[in-house]
Amino acid sequence: MGVPPTVTLEEHKISKNVSRCPTVLDEHWTFKTFKKRCRIAIVRYEDYEIEFDFIGIHPAVANTFRRIMISEVPTVAIEKVHVLNNTSIMQDEVLTHRLGLIPLKADPKLFEFKAEVDAEPREQDTLEFELKVKCMYNKDSNKNSSLAEDMYINNYVYSKHIKWKPIGSQKDKFSEENLGPVHDDILITKMIPGQELDLKLFAIKSNGKDHAKFSPVATAFYRMLPEISLVKEVEGEAAERLQKCFSPGVIGLKKDNGRVIAVVNDARYDFSSRNVYRYDDLKDAVVMRKVQDHFIFTIESVGAIKPDDIFREAINILKDKCTSLLQELNSL
Amino acid sequence: MNAPPTFESFLLYEGEKKITKEQDTKVPNAAIFTINKEDHTLGNMIRNQLLKDPNVLFAGYKVPHPLEHKFVLRIQTTSDYSPQDALTNAISDLISELALFEERFKEAIKEKKEGLD
Repeated sequence: MGVPPTVTLEEHKISKNVSRCPTVLDEHWTFKTFKKRCRIAIVRYEDYEIEFDFIGIHPAVANTFRRIMISEVPTVAIEKVHVLNNTSIMQDEVLTHRLGLIPLKADPKLFEFKAEVDAEPREQDTLEFELKVKCMYNKDSNKNSSLAEDMYINNYVYSKHIKWKPIGSQKDKFSEENLGPVHDDILITKMIPGQELDLKLFAIKSNGKDHAKFSPVATAFYRMLPEISLVKEVEGEAAERLQKCFSPGVIGLKKDNGRVIAVVNDARYDFSSRNVYRYDDLKDAVVMRKVQDHFIFTIESVGAIKPDDIFREAINILKDKCTSLLQELNSL
Repeated sequence: MNAPPTFESFLLYEGEKKITKEQDTKVPNAAIFTINKEDHTLGNMIRNQLLKDPNVLFAGYKVPHPLEHKFVLRIQTTSDYSPQDALTNAISDLISELALFEERFKEAIKEKKEGLD
């Protein structure tokens, strides 16, 4: 594969190291060389988060994926609220805004985009919920307690109080456990006895360009793979100082014949701070580089879609965009 | 108030064309494409793909105004090649790239899942 293209982060400038093997950054590009170098490796795979290495792609492509994941992968969120009664201290507009931001579990693939904003809700494009909560005194509670949660019932309104109201044949198509809020314990508002909420909520499908609440990710970002090499031996107190200049775990200390020597353990998780340049004796001992075609993607899902599905969906959206553009272009 | 509707950034109005082509009269073999309801996401990627084509002499894009949801792509090619062909080829290349990503990602996920078991 040869040496990948890198940039060196020097004290006052960034200099390029041109690779001698073909890379995506070259002027000439063939699909064959691209295919050879392009690689994806999953590093971390959790319920809400994924980290993977995307190797051999152009920065423009990496950025396109990031942008699409943030603002073009659709999800379902509460868009309209009919406030029938709200006697809590929270104003209607603040309350409805908070409701909109609650992530919902509904699978966006099973819904259509709403054609007209003010059209009547249909079962293909809308999910209806109800939030009907009334706060009361808790008569059964032990009288000595003056804690709000002992004295009152429903004084805290949580996302678990949102109840699904099926429209049309939705009852047969979906089940309640994969529709409601992702988390049951999101605090919506607080009330005291006598206050009540009676709201009708309408959730629709849209994307992050419409409103940030429709974005499937908390964040999706990428960074280039860092490379750190020690060109001079650093020992003793200087080695400890060097260790502190980098993120935890990046520089290790090795004992060798009673001396303590600094070694690079794992450059991957370095966040590229420039702290070494504060020390005149250390700055010439380290070379910090970035691999230009090696991207570390991190996708943090909000919970509605699995993080790997978000990336898959992003590929599909981009593909659809390209094919429809190609069609339009051919009919020009 | 007077805020434009938020869907304006991604929904084509009726009668609005997705893409229009205009010949650049100042230089030979150059054309200006206007692509509606798209932004840097597609613009930057397409421009980069075009620049990798040895027959493309110039490729550049701009978003003329942040409130107008479109980008303008200018392509100049060598004499035996038309800008439209260049664009078509660039997009086709991108589509094959995407197919590769899809496949590689599927493999990677499968590998990871097998490793976890």
